[in-house]
Amino acid sequence: MTEDHSYWYLASYPKSGNTWCRVFITELMRLAGDNLREELNLNQDIETGAIASSRLWLDDQLGVNSCDLSFCELDPLRGRAGASAWLFAEGERFHKVHDAFQSRDSRGRPVVSTTGCSGVVYILRHPEDVAVSLGHFFSWPLDRCVDFLLDPSAALMPGEHFGGHQVRQHMGRWDQHVRSWVDQTQLPVLIMRYEDMLAKGSETFTELATFLGLPSEAHLIDQALENTSIEKLKKLEEDLDGFAEKPAGCERFFRSGRTGEGADRLSNVQRQRLVKGLSEVMKRFQYEGPEVD
Amino acid sequence: MPAASPEAYQAFGMLLSSSLALPELMPADAVLTEREPLVELVEADHRQWPALQPSPHSTPMLQLAPQEWRLEFEGIGWFRATGGERLEWQRWDDSVSDRDIRTFAVTSGLGALAIQRGGLVLHGTALERDGEAILLLGHPAAGKSTLAWCLLQEGWRLLSSELVAVSSDGLVQPGIHQLKLWHDAAVAVDLNWAQLPPVRKGLKRYALMAQDLTCMPQPTPLRLIYSLNRAKEDSGKENDIEVGDDKEKISLKASRNFSQTNALLRLRNQAFHARMYRGMDAEAQMFMQAAGLARTVPLHALIVPDGIRAMAESLKKVNLMQPESMQQRKEAIEEDASND
Repeated sequence: MTEDHSYWYLASYPKSGNTWCRVFITELMRLAGDNLREELNLNQDIETGAIASSRLWLDDQLGVNSCDLSFCELDPLRGRAGASAWLFAEGERFHKVHDAFQSRDSRGRPVVSTTGCSGVVYILRHPEDVAVSLGHFFSWPLDRCVDFLLDPSAALMPGEHFGGHQVRQHMGRWDQHVRSWVDQTQLPVLIMRYEDMLAKGSETFTELATFLGLPSEAHLIDQALENTSIEKLKKLEEDLDGFAEKPAGCERFFRSGRTGEGADRLSNVQRQRLVKGLSEVMKRFQYEGPEVD
Repeated sequence: MPAASPEAYQAFGMLLSSSLALPELMPADAVLTEREPLVELVEADHRQWPALQPSPHSTPMLQLAPQEWRLEFEGIGWFRATGGERLEWQRWDDSVSDRDIRTFAVTSGLGALAIQRGGLVLHGTALERDGEAILLLGHPAAGKSTLAWCLLQEGWRLLSSELVAVSSDGLVQPGIHQLKLWHDAAVAVDLNWAQLPPVRKGLKRYALMAQDLTCMPQPTPLRLIYSLNRAKEDSGKENDIEVGDDKEKISLKASRNFSQTNALLRLRNQAFHARMYRGMDAEAQMFMQAAGLARTVPLHALIVPDGIRAMAESLKKVNLMQPESMQQRKEAIEEDASND
C-alpha cells in the first residue's frame, strides 16, 4: 500500500463499540495488505490505549512532567499537543478517544489536536446498553452506571491523589458527549451507530472504509466482518489469555455485544431516568426508551 | 532585570547563579565556585529572543534547535536554555508564582541545559549508600519517589530525583534535592501531608524539600541501575512466579542483569525526553553515552510490589546493592518483564 500519513480519531463514549471498530480496521488492512499473516493478534495488532490521554505521550509533546499540572491546567493544553508529525510518524493512524471534544476546563478548545487530522469516526450506542456494558466493565451496580451516564462531570480519571498513566478523560453527560463530537465543525465526522454496525454490517462498514480511504471491496469488508464477529473476538480473547484492554476484575472484555440488553436488564425506574435526562439526543439517533410516566 | 543578589547553586555538575531562589538545589560550595564557569538563570523578555528555524521535532509548546531549547507554556511562562550556559524565563503574567516558574525551570530547563553541556540525562532518581549510587529508572508516576522515600528511611541518601545526570566517568552528579509525593503515597508512608507544601497550588502532590531529606552532596560512582516495574503492570508475567507463596507476592524482585543491547534500549527509552535530544541534535551523543553506561553498569528490572506499605516492608528484607538477593528461584523474572 502507498504510504499514508493521515490520522483519524475513533471517538466514542466508553463501551460503545470503539474497540470492535479498531479491530475491524486492523483486520481490513491486514486482509488488504501484501503480507498476510496468519491471524489477527489482539494485543499486538491493534493500537491499544487512548494515546490522546496518555501521560507519556503528553509529557513528550509538552516537554514537561504532566504530573506537575492539574487536570484543569492540562485540558486547554492537550489540544495543542500532537500537532506535529510525530503523531502519525510511527504508523499509529487511528486514535481511540473517549474524551468529549471539549471539557469544562478546556476554555472552549478541543482536548485533542485537530491540526493535520483527517476526520473523526464517532461511534454511539443505545445508552441503556452502554449502562449494562459499563456495569460489567467496571464491576459497578446498574444504578451507578445510570448515574454516570447522566453526570455532567463524568470522567475517566486516575484520581487526583496519585499519578497514573492516563490523564483525566472528561466525558460529561452521555448526550453532551454525543453532541460535542457530532456537532463540532472542525473535523469531518462520520457517525456510526453500534446498532447499525451489528444489523447492517456490510453497509455500515463499507461506509466506514470509504470515509477512511481504506479498501472497500465487498469481499474484503465481509471477510473482515466475519473475522471480527463477537464470537471470533471472544475466542481470540480466550486464546490470548489476557487482553491488554481488559481491566482487573472484569471477567472478559468481549462479552455479548448484543443490543437491547439494557431494556431487559435495567429497571423501569432506571430506564425512565435515562430517557428523561437524554431524550433529545436519544430521539435524534432513533433510540427508544420507555414511555415517560 | 536581575535581582540585587543572585544566589549560587550547584546541580548536575553545573554551577548556577539565580536571582530566583531555588531551594530544590544545593547551595554552591567554595571549591566548585572557583573551578566551574557560571550558568545563569535570569528573568528575560521572550520578545527579544531571535526567531528559530522550524524543526520537525518541535511541538506547539516546545521549540528545539542545536543548543537551543524553548518552552512556551500558556498560563505559566516562557523558558529558554541556550548553549548550556544560560536559562532565561519570563512569567506569563503577574499571577504566576515563583514556585510555578521553579517547577518547570528546575526540571525541564535544567535538563535541557545539562543535555546541551553533553550530559546523559535520564528520567530517574538516584540514591547513595556507603559511597556507591543506585539509579532508579522509570517514567513519571512509576513510583520512583515513593521507593526513594522508603530507601531514605533505610539509611540511603538522595542524589537527585526526577532527573539524573551521569557523567562519562560514571559519576552521578547531585541534582534535584526534592521529592514529590502524591497524596496517597504521603498518607501510606505516614507523613503529615497537611504540613507539606503542595508541588504547585491546588495539586494533591507534595514537595519534600532538602531540609526534610538526607541528601548526598558529592558526585558518586554508579554501581547499579534498576528499571522500575509495578507488579500489577506485569500481570502477564506473574504466572512465571510460583503461585501460592505469599512472601514472593509481596517482595521486591530483581531480574537478571540485562544484556548490553537491552540495557541500552532501556536507557534510551528513559532518556530525559528523547524529543529534546533529537531536536537539539544530541541523539548520537546520548547513544554513545548510554552504550558506555550499559557496558559498565549492570541494569536489572525491579518489580515493585503493588501497594506502598508492602513495598516499604519488603525493602527491610533485601539489599538493593545485591540484586541477586532479590532474584527468585527459577530465575523467574526475565529481562523482558517490561511495560515499555
